This record gives sequence, C-alpha cells and structure tokens, in this order.
Amino acid sequence: MDRFVFPPWVNKFTLLLLGGLGAGGAYVGIMLAMGTWPDVMNTGYMPQQPVPFSHQLHAGQLKMDCRYCHNTVDVAAHAAVPSTNVCSNCHSAAPGGQVVKTAIHTNSQKLAPIRASQATGEPVEWERIHDLADYVYFNHSIHVNRGVSCVECHGRIDTMEVVYQAKSLSMSWCLECHRNPEGRMRPKSEITNLNWEWQDSFESHEQYINAIRDEYSVDGKPIRASTNCSTCHR
Amino acid sequence: MTDTATKPTAPASDNTYWRSLEQLEGTEEFQEFVHREFPQAASEIPEGVSRRRWMQLMGASFTLAAAQGCRWETEKIHAFANRPEGYVPGTQTKFATTAEIAGSPRHLLVSCYDGRPIKVDGNAEHPSSAGGSDGYTQAMTLSLYDPDRQSKLIERGERSLFTRTWSEFEEFAAEVLEKLAPKSGAGLAVLMQPSSSLALADSLKRLIEKLPQTSVFQYAPLDRANELAGAEMAFGEPIRCHFDLSKADVIACFEADLLSSMPQSVKATREYAKRREPDTKKNPAGRNRIYAVESQFSVTGASADHRLALRACDIPAMLAEVRSAVEKRLAGETPSKPAAVELPAPPEDGFYAKSPEAEGGLPEYSAAFAYALAEDLVQAKGKGLLVVGETLPAEAHAIAHEINTKLENAGAAVTYTKEPALLGETQVGDLAELIGDIAEKKVDTLLILGGNPVYDAPADSEFAEYLAKAPHTIHLSEYDNETSRACEWSLPQAHALESWDVFHAWDGAISTAQPLIDPLLDGRSAPEVLTMLAEGPGEMDGQAIVRQAVAAASEAAAEDEAWKKLLHDGFAEDTTWDTTTPALAGPAAEPPAAPKADTLELVFTASSHTYDGRFANNGWLQETPDPVTKLTWDNAALVSFETAKELGVKQGELLKLTVGEEELLAPVFLQPGQAPGSIGLALGYGRTAAGRVGGMVNEDGSKARSEFVVGERGNWGRYPLVQAIPGVSSLLVVPANPVGVDSYRLRTSASDRTERPFGADIVLGVTAEPTGKSYELASTQNHHAIDELGLAETYRRSGDLIREGTLGTYEENPTFAKDLGAHVPEAELWDELSYNSQSGEGQAWGMVIDLNKCIGCNACSVACQAENNVPVVGKDQVLRGREMHWIRIDRYFVGSHDAPRMVHQPLSCQHCETAPCEQVCPVAATVHSVEGLNDMVYNRCIGTRYCANNCPFKVRRFNFFHYTDKFDQANNELMRLVMNPEVTVRSRGVMEKCTFCTQRISAARIQAKNEGRPIRDGDVVTACQDACNTDAISFGDLNDRSSKVAEMRENERAYTLLDGLRVKPRTTYLARVINPHPMLEPYLVLKKPEPHAGHHGHGDHGESHDEHHDHKHEHGGHKKNGKHGEPHVGSPKKQGRVAKLSLPILNNPR
Repeated sequence: MDRFVFPPWVNKFTLLLLGGLGAGGAYVGIMLAMGTWPDVMNTGYMPQQPVPFSHQLHAGQLKMDCRYCHNTVDVAAHAAVPSTNVCSNCHSAAPGGQVVKTAIHTNSQKLAPIRASQATGEPVEWERIHDLADYVYFNHSIHVNRGVSCVECHGRIDTMEVVYQAKSLSMSWCLECHRNPEGRMRPKSEITNLNWEWQDSFESHEQYINAIRDEYSVDGKPIRASTNCSTCHR
Repeated sequence: MTDTATKPTAPASDNTYWRSLEQLEGTEEFQEFVHREFPQAASEIPEGVSRRRWMQLMGASFTLAAAQGCRWETEKIHAFANRPEGYVPGTQTKFATTAEIAGSPRHLLVSCYDGRPIKVDGNAEHPSSAGGSDGYTQAMTLSLYDPDRQSKLIERGERSLFTRTWSEFEEFAAEVLEKLAPKSGAGLAVLMQPSSSLALADSLKRLIEKLPQTSVFQYAPLDRANELAGAEMAFGEPIRCHFDLSKADVIACFEADLLSSMPQSVKATREYAKRREPDTKKNPAGRNRIYAVESQFSVTGASADHRLALRACDIPAMLAEVRSAVEKRLAGETPSKPAAVELPAPPEDGFYAKSPEAEGGLPEYSAAFAYALAEDLVQAKGKGLLVVGETLPAEAHAIAHEINTKLENAGAAVTYTKEPALLGETQVGDLAELIGDIAEKKVDTLLILGGNPVYDAPADSEFAEYLAKAPHTIHLSEYDNETSRACEWSLPQAHALESWDVFHAWDGAISTAQPLIDPLLDGRSAPEVLTMLAEGPGEMDGQAIVRQAVAAASEAAAEDEAWKKLLHDGFAEDTTWDTTTPALAGPAAEPPAAPKADTLELVFTASSHTYDGRFANNGWLQETPDPVTKLTWDNAALVSFETAKELGVKQGELLKLTVGEEELLAPVFLQPGQAPGSIGLALGYGRTAAGRVGGMVNEDGSKARSEFVVGERGNWGRYPLVQAIPGVSSLLVVPANPVGVDSYRLRTSASDRTERPFGADIVLGVTAEPTGKSYELASTQNHHAIDELGLAETYRRSGDLIREGTLGTYEENPTFAKDLGAHVPEAELWDELSYNSQSGEGQAWGMVIDLNKCIGCNACSVACQAENNVPVVGKDQVLRGREMHWIRIDRYFVGSHDAPRMVHQPLSCQHCETAPCEQVCPVAATVHSVEGLNDMVYNRCIGTRYCANNCPFKVRRFNFFHYTDKFDQANNELMRLVMNPEVTVRSRGVMEKCTFCTQRISAARIQAKNEGRPIRDGDVVTACQDACNTDAISFGDLNDRSSKVAEMRENERAYTLLDGLRVKPRTTYLARVINPHPMLEPYLVLKKPEPHAGHHGHGDHGESHDEHHDHKHEHGGHKKNGKHGEPHVGSPKKQGRVAKLSLPILNNPR
C-alpha cells in the first residue's frame, strides 16, 4: 500500500487547526485551573443547615464559649458537632433537661428538627462546611492546645449569622502557617476569644513572640510546626 | 534431561543461605524473581479487556467525572442525639477480653474505634499472655466482619429451606423440651468441642439439672486425647503440664511445636525468647539450648539449635532410647562417645557447600545427636524439659513424663496440675459413642454447639450418615457450614468478640470475655442458647450467665467491685489451680514398634492458615505465607527431596495418596528438611461450605467443583453473597473453589490401635503414586528475593543478609556480625539530607529486629495487615508475585537440601536515610521526613513503580488492581468496618509500603504535645512490635539515648542489611547466635567471620580482586573509626563452595 500523503490544499487549514488547538488547550487549562482552585471552589461555601443556628447570636452576642458545644475539640481529632441534647439543655424541656420555665424558644418552628431528634433519637443531619480531603488527617486538639485559635482556620464565626468557609483550607494555606507559626499563635487563655489581637495583651510584637515562645516552646527556641508529609497524610 | 537443566546459567547456588530448591538450583523462574521486582506476568494488562472496551470505560468515567460538578461530594454530619457520657468520637478505647480458639483461651486487649473493634493484641497484664499474640488472634477482626457469617436462622426441610427468627426457634425448642421432659431429657444429646469455658459448663449443668438424662459428647479433630492418655499411663490420672521455659536450660521437643501451636505457646515463646539472649548481663540464667526431633519443619524446629528430621513413627522409639541413655547416665555409666566424625575440611572461605551429613551421608549425625541430647539433659538435671507433640501416641507422652520425673525437671521447668473436669460428675462421651447412640435410636434431638463434625469427623465414622438419622438436629455455628447444611436447624453463633463468656486460663486463672460490640448478625453464644433451653427464653442475658458462672467458681470475684475489676483486667488474680506432684505409676511405657525403614508415613498437622478448617474463610490467614513452606491459599503434601526421587514425583505434581480405600490427590511440595519417608499434610482445607474465601459449592451439589471458575482475584469475592430467600429451595451461593485439598478424607479414627498404632495423625501404610498432572502452588518463597545474585560485585558489597554465629564465636568476638559484612565505603552516593539524627533534636525513629529471638510465627505480618488496611489479593495474584504484605518474613535455608537449618528474617521498609526510592520518584510521592521516615504520599503517587524497581530490599508493594473495591459493593458494608480509620485505604495504581506505623507516631506525638511533655520511650509501639511474642522488634527514638531501641542499635551484634550500598537503613538487625553442643558444632554450616581489623587502609589497593586478595592480611594502618577502603570480601567466596546440585526434579517435565 502506498504511503498516504495529505493533499496540498490541506495546508491552508494548518494554521487554523493549530490556532484552534492552542485556543482549546488554553480554554481547558484555564477552566481546570480556575475550577479546581481551592479559593474558587470552596471559600465562601455557605450551605443551608436544617436548623438556622446563629453563631453570631450564640458565640457573638451571648459569648458562649466554643467548647460549650464543640466539647471534644481539645481532646480529640474531631471537634464534635454537639449532640442534640446539648441544644436541648436550653431549648426544650426534655426529660432530665431544663425545666420548662427556664427553657427558651421551646416551641420555635425553627427548632423543630431538634425536638424531633430529641424525641426519636435520630441525629440531625448537619451539612459539613469545612471539608478537608479524605487523605488529610487533621487533628483539632493539637492545634487548640498549641495556641492556634479557632479563628485562624474558621474566621470570625462569632460574627457569622450563617456559617461559611472563610479560608481556602488548601495545602499551601496550611503550610503557610506551619512554616511560620509564631505570629499566628496566642496564649492558651485567648484560644476561643475570636476577637483577640496580639495588641490586646502585649505592648510590642517582640514581647508577644517571646510570650508565645515561653508558653509553647520546650527550649525557648523558635516554634516549629512539622511540615513532613506524614504529619497529615498517612 | 537437558544440559541447560543441569547447568544453571548463573552461579545461583553460590549462596549459603537459600530460599528454595529453585534458588539452590538456579532455575529460570528464580532468576526472574531476582532480576525483576515483579515477574513478567505482573506487568501485563489484565487479560480479557480489549482496547475498545477500555476506551468505552475510560470515556464513560471521564463523562461521569465531568458530570459530578465542580465541588466534591458534600458530606453530612450525623451527631448523636444523646452522646454517651465520657465518649469522645474518633478516639480509641481498649478493653480486656478473652477468646477461646480450639479450647485454648487467648487473653486479649482489643482496641475499639467508635465502638467497633479494629485491632486485637495480647493482654500484657495477663500472666498467661504477657502481651503476646499469634496470627490467629490477630486475624480475629476480619472474621468478625465477615459478611459470609451466618446471619439468619435456617430451618431445612425435606426439600425446602426457610429462614427463621429466634422466637420461632424458641417455640420449636419449647415443643421439643416438652416432649422430652417426661423422660427427664432422655433423647436429648449435646455435642460440643472441648472447652475451658466456665459459662458453657455452668449453663450445661443447669440444663442437665432440669433434664438429668441429657447425654453430653465432645469431639474436636485436634484435641489433647493423646496427651491426657499419656499422663494417665504415666501417673495414673489425667494431668496437665505447665512449662516454664525461663527455668529450662535444655529443651527437647519431640514432634512438638512448642513455640507456635500448643495451648501454652504464647507464654512459652515469651520465656523462650528471654533465655535466648546471649549476653549474660541481660540474661543471667544463660542461653538455653533447644533440640528438635520432628518429621517436618515446625516453627520450633526452625528456631532450634539442633534439629533431627525423623519419621514421626520413629520418634517414640527414639524417645525410648533417650530414656535408656538418661537412665544409664543417671546410674553413673558413661556411654562411649560415638566415633569421632571425619568431617570434610571446610573450603577456604569457611563455607560448606552442603552439610557434612549430606556430603558423606553420615549416619553418625543421629548418633551424635542422641548422645549430645542425653548428655545435655543429664547435665541440666532439674533445668531441662522434654515436650512431646499432640500427634505422637500416648506412649511417647508417658515416656517423656518418665524422663522429666527422673531428671527432676518435674517441679522446676515443668509443673503439673490436675486436668479440670468442668462438667463435674457428668459422663462425657466421644463421637463414636454418639454415633452408637444414634444407631440405637437413643437420640431424638441432637444439639451441636460449634464445630463442624460433618467436615472433620474421622473418615471411617460415617458421621454424616448417622446425623441424618437423628430426628431433630440443631447446629449452632458462626457459619452455615457443612454440618449446618446437614442439620434441621442452623443457628447463628455470636463471634467471640460479640459474646460474654468466662474461661479458665491454661493455669486456671478465671478470665472473662466481654462483648466489644453487639452481635452484628443476630448471633447468640453457646451458653446463651443452653441457658435459653434450661431456663426458658429471655430469663438471663449473657452477662448474668457469666456472672453466675464466676460466682460458682469464686464467690469473691463476682461481687460488685471485684466484678468490675475482673472485667477491666480480664482476669482474676489468685485463681490459678494448685500444682500437684504426681508420682510415676505403673510400668514404664513401651513405644509402639517402629515400622520398617521403607514404610511411608503420612502425618496430619494443623494448618497455620486455617487451624482445623475453622479459619478457612479468613483471607488474611489464607494469604499469609506459611512460616515453613511459604505456601498461601493451599495445603500440599510435603515430601523430602529423597522421597520425591523415590516416588518419582516433581514439584507441584499431583500425588495420589491412598489410605485403605480412600484416595486423595494432593500437590507435592518439596520441603527441605522433611524427614525422608514422611509425607506431611495439613488439615483444614477443601472446605465446601466455608464462604466465598474458603470455598463454597452449591448445597445440592448441582455443580461439580471443577466447573467453577476461579475469579480474577482468586477466591477473594468478586461477587456478592446472595442470602437465603424464604421459600427458595436451596441457598444460592457464590461459587468459590474449595481452597486446598480435604485431607480429613484420609484421616480415620484411631480407636483400633493395632491398625493405627501411632494414633490418628500418623498413618502408616499409605501409598503414594505420581499422576503426572501438575498443580500450581502459590508459594512466596522466591518472591522479593533480594538481589544477592548480582554476583561477586554486589555480593562483596552487600555482606550477608543473615548473619549468624555460635555462642563461642560471640563470646570470643561479640562484634562478629560486623565482621561478617562488607567494609563500608566512605563515599556518599548523594548529598545527605539533614535529619534529626544529625542534629540530635526532635525524634529520629528507628527499629531493631533481633534475629536471635524471631521465630517466624507470622503474628507481625497479620498484625500489620490489620493495622494498615493491607488488602488481600487472592491466589491468582500471589502467583504473579503481587502479595501486599508490608512486613514479610523471609525464610532462608542453610546447608544442604535434605538437612538444612532454617532462618527467618522479618523484612519491611528499612527507611534508608539515603533512600534510593526517593531519588527516582518523578512526582515526589515518596520523600523523607526530618524524623527519618520514608514517607509515602498516596495522593501524589502516579504509579510509575520506579521506586519499587530501585528498592534494594524489595519492600514496596503496588496496587495492581482496586483490591478493596469489594468494600464498595452494597452487600459488603459489614466488611468495610474492619478498616482502620486512621490509615488511608489505598486505591488502584498506588505504591505502598511500611510506614513505621506513622499513624501511631502521630497519635503519640499529639498526645505528648497536648500534655505538654516530650514523647517518652514506649509511647510509640508499632503494630508488628505489639504483636511480636518474642519481643524481637524494638522501635523508638534513636535520639533518646536512654531508649531501648537506641541501646539495641548499639548492641554488639547489630548490623544493617546491604551495608555496602550506604543506604543507611533505620532498621538494624541483631545477629543470630546458635548455642551448639560441642559435638554437633562441626555439623553447623556457618560462615566464619573475618575480623576487619588489620586490613589495609583507605584507598591503597587496585581494582583487581586478585591483587588485594594476595595481600589482604598484610596491611596495617587501619583507621580507628572503622572506616575502610574498598571492600575486599567477595571474590574468594566465589570459589570452592559452589554446590552444583542437580535437581532434575525441578526442571524437567516428566
């Protein structure tokens, strides 16, 4: 069989074809890059929850400590989402809970799923907002116990009427802090004080860093956070 | 026979340490395994997928991926409605419990993650366990979540099958009991396995109280009948022996696998290991010496200092000889020494090509062995121990008792207690009596508790036929197995981790079992079923039954506070039995006459995979290579090289074994060290109703076995199991080929002692004929062979992988192991990364494995599989060298093929500081952490397999398929629960390997930091270390100078593998030290260490080996720090010791 040869008239399409391929490639590249960029994909993710719980009200105005509800945050990897009976402590007259007189909004329509859950024992289905990839093993306790406040990753939850993802939670974002953690740490007493700035407690930045080292560093040396792969991936 | 077959192309047999006959011979298959990380077939695209089909699939997946949208799957959070107090989600809690495996309780500490057990280890506080475990216990969690376990009650009618509920069964039981009550239970029979369960005994007693005519029978295929009969013969009463190896200087095992498969093995192994230490500072009592006489290699034989391969039927006679020799010596006679052996002079480099025994065919070895053994036993009077295996007849046990008593070992290394009679006065019959009762129509309702007698009853008992004759039969079983299929009712039994129970430990201590999870598949325990029959339904729950049984045994232990402590600890202190000192009674036992030398014997043993068949559906166990044969997914007729030649069979050929009328085809496996004239065959295979892993054929037998197609991944389920559908006439089952051959078909009862003088397990008069048909056996013995064959160059740089010496060598030169290796070049291959080990800051993780203690029992391998979600791949994949174990146990033979020694070496990722794998990864998926871990980042890995090709230790494992896809199938949700949530489940196309249990390191680090303290020595325990019964594995922080691992790394016996490569492994090995009897020392095949000191200094030699060979002892100027120039060992080794064996059996098709 003879070798196939393109006829000469094809030549005039060559440039068009190349241009088309280039443009198509660029389009696909941009779409992929933009479409998978954590900032684009996840930041600002604000799903609707079954109960319109307001962190702005509870954590902000009422100044409830984060750990009243998320009570395993300093002992376990998971900052457990509170069980229904924690809500019921204030919001219903569940058996063993508050008496009716001190309970608040016991008949609120918005709290219907809570009451249903309390009655049936079925869990409330909350939407997960801060969702790391499954191959990331994040541990809350080590961060909270080592001077990293909730606000560093979750933003000003205490001002959010509806919670959304404030940070990108990408690996480069994690590493930014892991490579230079000192300026982002705070005394343990201020961990759940989302409104805290170092200026509130210290006169100079140097004093602040020294205090951090005093509190968290074993030998007074600068604080290192591990950047080994196996710290988070295993 | 062709020329190529007799002349290996490479000097493959240039190895003192060899893995298989294939290596000794240098077959092409072995070369393939050495030269390629995975053999040829492993690189092939799966068969049966056409290019077009592939395009379709890929196109479809791409479309689906696009359709999924831009954000990944959203997740829901299901918080508790009421979280239990004190419960922290996502953390582990440990509970002490007990599980009985074949009448021998294992004392466990089970880790539960969010309420589900995921890891089983030994209970370190229990005196009978001391933290040890074995492969069977490590694999328990897989059985717990096995979806093939019986999930429904089944009633089988004449032609139909119905699923039932417990209340329906209770109605049926009430009817039956009502019928039997007027006859006070006559007609009710209970068949159970021997058990040390107090709860079972207690509830059975209550049933008997209610129905006094109830008859009780016991049967288990592997029991202690010979042992108890032997004690009866020697002492006049059934006596239980307790071995204390910490007091034994000399241990002699006769066909006894003391370190692996005896009820007290866990404890014995621990004590054995402590006395194994050659350093008298750490082991003031001194190094023990072990003799093993056995027909086939056992774990104990592999660890023994001296081993003699004898037909099992010759061993009782040998014991009698030992007895008379000991008696003579005790009487003051000094027997004449066997003639001094003229051993062939060892070649120049210190190697014997073959062991002298084989070389000269020296029968003197057995004579010298017997002489040495008797001498040692008498010398170590009161500090010795004779142990006889269960397969040997009662006479052998009796003789051992006599010798132990005469040597005053009784009361020291061996103590006695009365064998407990848990059922008190109740008469307990055996299987033959039950069959007699059925034949006489005395049995109306037969309740079988556990076991599987239809499968494992003696072949000549015809149990299945008699079972069908009983009007009502009920079987309580974890699986709907062969026996359940033959019974009217089949009831699901709760798994050991799901039930309440209480046992006597081997020494009598009351040990409780508590459920770690509610019964997943609606099972009930045997005590619960018996109590239901005795008291009526719903009267007592499991806890109440157990507490009552505890109260019956020890009032104090059942009181509130004590009860809580008992459950917490798993055992009650001070509840052990009192020891007795039985006196010898009756005449000296005489062994059965040994048959003629040319009589072939067949020896049945428990399987290291399935035990007696009960673990047949456990993929972890089926795929873990046997410690001796390295076989997976099969049993085989183990035959010595000599016997194979006589029979005219070759490796993998089907051998027709005939015992009486019964025939069985079993594949031949040539086992070095097998006694000539003895065929070893493991029990527990060929199951037809085990499940999708162990074998499953249709109940109506509509399909012949051969018609089933082995799935792409062997028997490890590709298909969902279809559960019973009410009204459907038979169970629809997943066809799965039975694994291995059912050797029970040849095993008859031993009631007729004239026909079976050596008991049921040693069969004489077996005929074996070759068939010419071949069978593929999946043995991993040649897989991952470290490239020692890179001829002189590699060899002289690598040194020996296994380093051994005698106690004498050690005492003379404690650092002999270093002298056995190559001189390490000074030059670095790469710029070294900066690690914590250099700065001394932070942690530098390291591991030390003491080859002197390792017995190759496989517990670490299974533990790793459980901890790290290592997949099971099936026989088909194992045949391609794709098994996934992160820690494998390399087994080497030393010496000749007919009388070798065996050495085990656990090998996992060595975490080299200059890791060659890291240099070739194009995507940085494997990188080093500053703590010295060779991290594997799965989500980066693109599956080039370059790293595996570049790993000198061959420890990297590749996911050729999505081996865990079965977990995604709808019916297999249960199976998913076995996964450790702390470890990623890997997917297809990803490389994986040992991580030093990085999840455990993280957990320890986080806990330490949360508590504001440094990580302490012992905070991080790897899964293999945790499981290791002999404490052979140490792990920890090398920067912590006080840590055990740092101390061990400095041990004088320490060496690293392939040290000539300068990869600086973080895993160090400690050399093995043999403690030979001086008379037997010449028979050991050992490399002699050449002291490095006094050699030439750095760089002052040429390239030629001959040149520095000539003047190697003439140079001084050796640097103090131990650095040397180019290594010089090597080239001499090539000469002189090459054993050019011709094994036509391996190479020539018949």
